Amino acid sequence: MTQDPDRPRNTFCGQTRREFLWEAGGAFTSVALAGMFSTDNFLAAQTVAADGTTEWKNPLAARPPHFDGPAKAVIFLFMYGGPSQVDTFDYKPDLYPLDGKTIEINTKGRGGTRNQGRVVGPKWQFKQYGECGKWVSDLFPNVGGCVDDIAFIHSMTADAPLHGSAMLQMNSGRILSGSPALGSWVNYGLGTENENLPGFVVMLDPTGGPISGAKNWSSGYMPASYQGTVIRSSGTPILALDPPPGMSREAQRRLLDRLREYNEEHAAPRAENSELAARIASYELAYRMQQHAPEAVDLSGESEEIRSLYGLDQDRTKDFGRRCLLARRLVERGVRFIQVYSGGNHNDNNWDAHGDLVKNHEYHAGATDLPVAGLLRDLKQRGLLDSTLVIWGGEFGRQPTAEYAEGTGRDHNAYGFTMWMAGGGIKGGTSVGETDELGNRAEVDRFHVKNLHATILQQLGLDPNALSYFHAGLDQKLVGVEGAEPIHQIVA
Amino acid sequence: MIAGTMTGRAQRTGSASVAAPAILLALLSAGHGGAQTAQTPADGIKLFEENVQPVLERNCFMCHSDPERAENGLLLTTRAGLLRGGERGPAISTSEPALSLLLHAVGYEDEQLQMPPSGRLADGDLDAIRQWVQLGAPFGGDEDRLSEVAPAEDAFEITDADREWWSVRPLERPDVPAVADTDWPLNPVDHFLLAKIEAAGLEPPPAADRRALIRRASYDLTGLPPTLEEVEAFEHDQRPDAWERLIDRLLASPHYGERWGRHWLDLVRYAETDGYERDRKKPSAWRYRDWVIDALNADMPYNEFLTHQLAGDELDKPTAASVIATGYLRLGIWDDEPTDTALAQYDDLDSVLDVTSRVMLGMSIGCARCHNHRGDPIPQTDYYRMLSFFRGIAPYKVGGGNQPTPENYTDWIPPDLGTTEGERPVVEGPPHLIEVLRVKEIGPEAPPTHVLIRGNPHAPAERVEPGFPLILGDADPGLGERAADSPTTGRRRALARWIADDGNLRTSRVMANRLWQYHFGRGLSPTPNDLGRFGEPATHPELLDWLATEFTARDWSLKAMHRLIMTSRAYRMSSRPPAGALEADPGNDLFSRFNMRRLTAEEIRDSVLAATGRLNLELGGPSVYPPMPAEVLATASRPDAAWGEATLEQASRRSVYIHVKRSLLHPLLESLDMADTDSTCPVRFTTTQPTQALMMLNGEFMSDQARALGARIDGGDGTVEERVTEALEAVLARRAHPVEVARGLGLIEELQREEGFDPESAFASYSLLLLNLNEFVYLD
Repeated sequence: MTQDPDRPRNTFCGQTRREFLWEAGGAFTSVALAGMFSTDNFLAAQTVAADGTTEWKNPLAARPPHFDGPAKAVIFLFMYGGPSQVDTFDYKPDLYPLDGKTIEINTKGRGGTRNQGRVVGPKWQFKQYGECGKWVSDLFPNVGGCVDDIAFIHSMTADAPLHGSAMLQMNSGRILSGSPALGSWVNYGLGTENENLPGFVVMLDPTGGPISGAKNWSSGYMPASYQGTVIRSSGTPILALDPPPGMSREAQRRLLDRLREYNEEHAAPRAENSELAARIASYELAYRMQQHAPEAVDLSGESEEIRSLYGLDQDRTKDFGRRCLLARRLVERGVRFIQVYSGGNHNDNNWDAHGDLVKNHEYHAGATDLPVAGLLRDLKQRGLLDSTLVIWGGEFGRQPTAEYAEGTGRDHNAYGFTMWMAGGGIKGGTSVGETDELGNRAEVDRFHVKNLHATILQQLGLDPNALSYFHAGLDQKLVGVEGAEPIHQIVA
Repeated sequence: MIAGTMTGRAQRTGSASVAAPAILLALLSAGHGGAQTAQTPADGIKLFEENVQPVLERNCFMCHSDPERAENGLLLTTRAGLLRGGERGPAISTSEPALSLLLHAVGYEDEQLQMPPSGRLADGDLDAIRQWVQLGAPFGGDEDRLSEVAPAEDAFEITDADREWWSVRPLERPDVPAVADTDWPLNPVDHFLLAKIEAAGLEPPPAADRRALIRRASYDLTGLPPTLEEVEAFEHDQRPDAWERLIDRLLASPHYGERWGRHWLDLVRYAETDGYERDRKKPSAWRYRDWVIDALNADMPYNEFLTHQLAGDELDKPTAASVIATGYLRLGIWDDEPTDTALAQYDDLDSVLDVTSRVMLGMSIGCARCHNHRGDPIPQTDYYRMLSFFRGIAPYKVGGGNQPTPENYTDWIPPDLGTTEGERPVVEGPPHLIEVLRVKEIGPEAPPTHVLIRGNPHAPAERVEPGFPLILGDADPGLGERAADSPTTGRRRALARWIADDGNLRTSRVMANRLWQYHFGRGLSPTPNDLGRFGEPATHPELLDWLATEFTARDWSLKAMHRLIMTSRAYRMSSRPPAGALEADPGNDLFSRFNMRRLTAEEIRDSVLAATGRLNLELGGPSVYPPMPAEVLATASRPDAAWGEATLEQASRRSVYIHVKRSLLHPLLESLDMADTDSTCPVRFTTTQPTQALMMLNGEFMSDQARALGARIDGGDGTVEERVTEALEAVLARRAHPVEVARGLGLIEELQREEGFDPESAFASYSLLLLNLNEFVYLD
């Protein structure tokens, strides 16, 4: 095939676009397979691409980063619904005395655009914590104890003050659906370190998924190999992981052995087609996943001390604590990107406190404060925090003013909110950016979701402005074609 | 007031209405920065050198200092650059400095334009820039710098190379090339392929055996496996036209439309919900799906097929079917809570234009939404000229709020609309009204269409009128006057007329390429949605052009093209590579052997159902809801209300009839690479993943089917050996070899002896094994 020398080429990881098209399924020769050969060479002799000569490359095999990044894994603690910044980590002492007063203020949320509003003073007191003296509200006394490991970004902005599009933006960089999730990008860039588990894992709240469901962990225009896998924190962790009733592991082994005999007989005269070998191998990997995934989610070996560190011994914290502890176990087993949802379903089942702010945030903070702190402490004591980037935040924040004439509920606020990061080469005890005195709008050192994404990729050793995937005529990037800078101020 | 006094704490009045500092800050940029601190020109230069230049260098020069690559064309390195400005216009106004675009952008009060994007500048820096602009933005003594900036060039020009691009140059019927082996070719298709194969020094490919051929043809045309009886009848059919008869039989099958309709549904990103938070159902979207299937079964000419989807309501005599076809324009994702309503309306139109241009024209016109296309000769004006054909479309909703406006996109029409007495109604059904998903327009006049700077609906530039891409000839759309009471602008009809014209080379080239793709596993150009410079060139451009001319000569009949392609020797070649082919043609660019393929998601599920005898081949109608695992339902934000129910019989319908809900996809189909529902899917991925194996081994659907297969093959009084044989033959549609039977018997016996299985469970396990065979899911 002749190549137009002027045509731009995708150069990610040294691939030409043509090679890329093969891998991604743009042509019949595609092979896309979750990793299996790196630790097990039983089919290595056949692992060539369809041309019979090129070495077969597994799209999820671990690949080198662009440069050395401190982080090897990411845990994104997603506070779905949008926690209120002025009631959690963005201390606004001037806001308390304005409680109940109607002021001129520009807001935009579910209730539309407004020019004035009734201030709801912060409903919790703040205290200083740590050597850095960070002010943290009484909602998070345990996280408060970890502030010297945390970098707070108080000047986050997003493009949409409504859940559907804001969720998509926080998860995929775009407010329109159809783009790959952050976790898909990370696995596309780095592959996975454990072929026996999915590389991108999502753990949902027991009340249900977030709105738009699987769109939030979809691989969008990338192959399904990169999509998130939902792992349940109790029962069967992965869809269809358990053999059907009556089928023991030994019986399944017998079935698989016979299956392989048939399949190898079929593949023998078709040796040039590596897809056949890959499919044979995928059954072996599935079999191993059946063994490893339950082990990964089995907490019986965790000590009482650890269980209590995550709050597994308390009713209000045990559920989220369990998912945090699972997240640590998955990190230990080489899972690259883990997303843990606090909150699901709609309204007060998540942080979306439109009505009774106190009740809502007491509930959700109460369920998560201890487990989140437990996770940070546990990662640290195991020496994993340096290589694990922990992210905390929602799709946006909340307004300093009330949504309704009565009550404490706050509407959405995408124009100023707080997120934080810890570990993975992040400089602890720092705070960057400021909202205005009311905590309404980011004023100083504003950062966009794109900057957050750029920071995550950078800490993993990926250049956010170089990590690209050719789709629809463009080298698509997580941070958009215009690019974005990481938040340098919070990098150690 | 000037900015400098506004930083820090604002005074608090203690009154009920407090002017908070944040708000005051936001007002600053409307501002009058520096007006009070009148200064001399020398002061201005000093201010520039000490306080402005460092700020610009630090914050702006990354994107606005290189004359070759300045973002938006805006250069901030010289005063002339500021005066000339970028795509949004001059950056400074010398007559009204306070209204300068530069101050507007750095002021950060407009959510659509905030510079620098990394964050608002410090107040002190903003002050300095304001004062400096007020002083006329002096750059210092070196006036020569002014001459460094040449006037902006008109960046767009169609070059000879553009006109010579393979997919643009005039379509001429190529000569059929001569070949050395004159016995091999059966029709001109073979000449084109063999000429290149011979030129590479390779032998003509050998033929596939009859079993491989009937499987290939059956799946390609109907998506369903042949039965053992059909395979054997074909193997023993000694008539010289046995192959042609087979093809005609398959083309006449109503399942042809289901298979090829699914290809089309992939392209138009068919789904039955809106996506986003509420993911509302699109009412009666399934009628569009049925229309596609019916149209293909009826072999509606392809150009008419396109015309009805674009403008079925604007035909001289619309029918219920042609109105239903316009559901095409309502299939996209739709945000019911857009942040920016104006932008969302353009996003909707963009989606329609993007799909239309990629699918019907193989062009990425969508890339020119914000700027001239970076690869192809498509100026931004082309995008908006094309967009304006759709500008009359009534949006889902008007104004703000969450509620869609059903009257804009649904309708109740008589099913015999447009048919006169004695004619058969186009849509079968009782003579009462039916609900349809359709397009509507707002009247005979469309709102004006402007080029939008950087695609921003809040930054309109020149007005444009409907027109076709310049590179494709810029014909007159022929838009006449419309009657004042006309419900539509007639613009889509004009677009359809041009796209569907016999002389539109692009349309026939694009579809000829797709026809080849769906038969041979990859298009003659492997990027069927983009035949431009960002796509892959055709490996056989002459063959593609020949097919394209043949397509129009055969009155755009898809079935005629299937016959033409499938009766070639090329389509009947073996997938086993001949000697030397792997070395000489590693990527199979020459089609020196047939491409093996895995069945698609739908084919796998349908084949499983067919093998077990459960498949319900009922045609058409509202979509069905096969059982969804509880684990999958739990991922929905409202697990209880997320999905419907179906009887076992309805749950066993073909996969094309499964309800397509954007936020909750059928897990087996999704895992096996069904098409993305949000953007046009020109080529399916084929991934191989352990989660697929898990679902194929452990999923409830597969367990049920394995038991169903066991029940179907009850064996009667026969031996286990006979049952094993029969099951294998039913699944693979071929005779079993003794060694395979022995292996199956061995498994059954082992499971009973070693694992304590009862005979039925052991047989079900063997059935499950059969349904997991590579031979079952791969075609030679």
